[in-house]
Amino acid sequence: MRGTGFSFVAPLLVLMVVAFNAPIVYMLGLAFWEKGRGFTLEHYQGLIETPVYLKVLGNTMRIALIATLANMAIGYPLAHWMRGLQNRARLIAIALVVLPFWVSILVRTYAWIVVLGNGGLVNRFLQWTGLTDAPVSFLYNEMGVTIGMANVLLPFLVLPLFAAMIKIDDRLLQAAASMGAPPRTIFWKIYFPLTLPALAAGTLLVFILCLGFYVTPAILGGGRVPMISNLLDTLINQIPRWEQASAISTILLIVTLLIFAAYRRLDRKASA
Amino acid sequence: MKRRSFVTGAAAGVSAFGLLSAGARAQSKEIRMIESGGLSGDSIEKGYIEPLMKKSGIKVIRESPSSLGKLRALVESGQKDTVLFELGQSVMVQAKNLGLIEPLDWAAINPAPMFPEAKNEYGFGYQYFSTIMAWRKGAKEPKNMTDFFDLKNFPGKRCLPDYPHYLLPFCVQAAGVPVDKIFPLNVDLAFKKLDEIKKDVSVWWKAGAQPAQLLKDNEVQYSICWSGRVVNEPTLAMSFVGGKADLSYFGIVKGSKPEDKAAAYKLLHEMSLPENQAQAATVISYTGSSPELDPLLPKDKLWQFPTAKQNKAVQYFEDAQWWVTNGEAVNKKWEAFKLNL
Repeated sequence: MRGTGFSFVAPLLVLMVVAFNAPIVYMLGLAFWEKGRGFTLEHYQGLIETPVYLKVLGNTMRIALIATLANMAIGYPLAHWMRGLQNRARLIAIALVVLPFWVSILVRTYAWIVVLGNGGLVNRFLQWTGLTDAPVSFLYNEMGVTIGMANVLLPFLVLPLFAAMIKIDDRLLQAAASMGAPPRTIFWKIYFPLTLPALAAGTLLVFILCLGFYVTPAILGGGRVPMISNLLDTLINQIPRWEQASAISTILLIVTLLIFAAYRRLDRKASA
Repeated sequence: MKRRSFVTGAAAGVSAFGLLSAGARAQSKEIRMIESGGLSGDSIEKGYIEPLMKKSGIKVIRESPSSLGKLRALVESGQKDTVLFELGQSVMVQAKNLGLIEPLDWAAINPAPMFPEAKNEYGFGYQYFSTIMAWRKGAKEPKNMTDFFDLKNFPGKRCLPDYPHYLLPFCVQAAGVPVDKIFPLNVDLAFKKLDEIKKDVSVWWKAGAQPAQLLKDNEVQYSICWSGRVVNEPTLAMSFVGGKADLSYFGIVKGSKPEDKAAAYKLLHEMSLPENQAQAATVISYTGSSPELDPLLPKDKLWQFPTAKQNKAVQYFEDAQWWVTNGEAVNKKWEAFKLNL
């Protein structure tokens, strides 16, 4: 059995190793190995001496965290609300959540300019109602980036969360209620713990995807929100210092792996 | 190890084949180029590739975009299908230093007369484009870069490029440095000027399509743009004064097959002909490197072309070597500046 199972996996495994893992290892190795000079740590040393690149990495983490929290704040209630819908309404809600997936990320990003720009729909409405005199700057700052990233990534959080929520047996909640638990207790003692693994997995996924965002911060951030992938683009395509880019990517990968390890640990503790 | 010896073996095989065919004076019937894409690519198609096809039957396949990183990946992986690669001025110097391009055989190209800066040992300058100041019609008209950066007398939001090599030379001009003394660039002076105006900069643009759109939407009132993005916008105005004249080159990818090179030189010859350049200029308002082009262009449109006499005279060319030496250090300062916005 074991042998046949492996032979099913083998083609994909070979493809992954040859087309994905090997180039990544080569790319990460660039920072340590220079043609004709051999082993070097110079590129990491460069990072420590001029910490500006690491500061950009720190900024990326901060923005990713904000966007992830925004995603949680919107996604959790949304998934919960969808759980309570009737079949047809639920289908429509799922379609609305998934629909943006079919639109190019670039188009969605530019669409926010139409909605949130100084002459955009929201600002025109606010000024028409007299709520504000001057246009509110939604875009070209961290808020614009957060809104854009939350929009793009919402399905990644909502779908696993929704899947976990509809699996929760209503009778569990009814049993708690019949024993006199108030709604708040039912939610925190029963409902929330049952959704926690999906919430953690979805949040982690969203956070890691945030770290690599490129188009959305470049356009909606108006160049004011430096992110690591824009910096890497400069180092790879313009300067080109692949070695430096490789060193930064390695650090980014390690940080991501550490976060993932922390999640695994929490997850195991929770299920034990 | 195995893969490597396979690659070397394949490379040896290909070059042996190349020697043979060079001996037979062969010329490829189909070559590949990597260019910057968009309208610029369409202008290459209409201006140069179509005439070449008619005259010699050589087919040219275009791909885009053309970043230095891509060229480095092409050469380091031993890829030999692409022969022509589009390069900016300083990118050409970088590519030469990194050993990614080969010297051109100018005798084989046998070009029509060209501007001297376009005839480089390693690059054929085929298209001039300009980075200039533009504004919404109705906003007060700046006469030079000092005006453009003067927030008091020329109030309005600004949109500036998120690329230090475009932006910093404009900043030192604003501080009073004349166009012929921009290099060596006083980087500290440039950043000092930027600190003065950064609060009124709404957007630092990354894509060339952004600034013209932001001007049209009245999101900003003044912007640094590529000239070709502004000329067809009736609500916008622009000036070449103090602008950055750029020249895009085609270089030969290192290790290209001789028969591909022979065909590529034929295409470069087409690019030197003013009548072809006039055709290309009907697609995009960027012009070729023939000094005899002006009379072939429509008179009412001369104001918009980077090489029209009155425009070429008021712009500057960057010192590509200076950027190659200092680019990375400047970029670090730039990232630090952006973190403190």
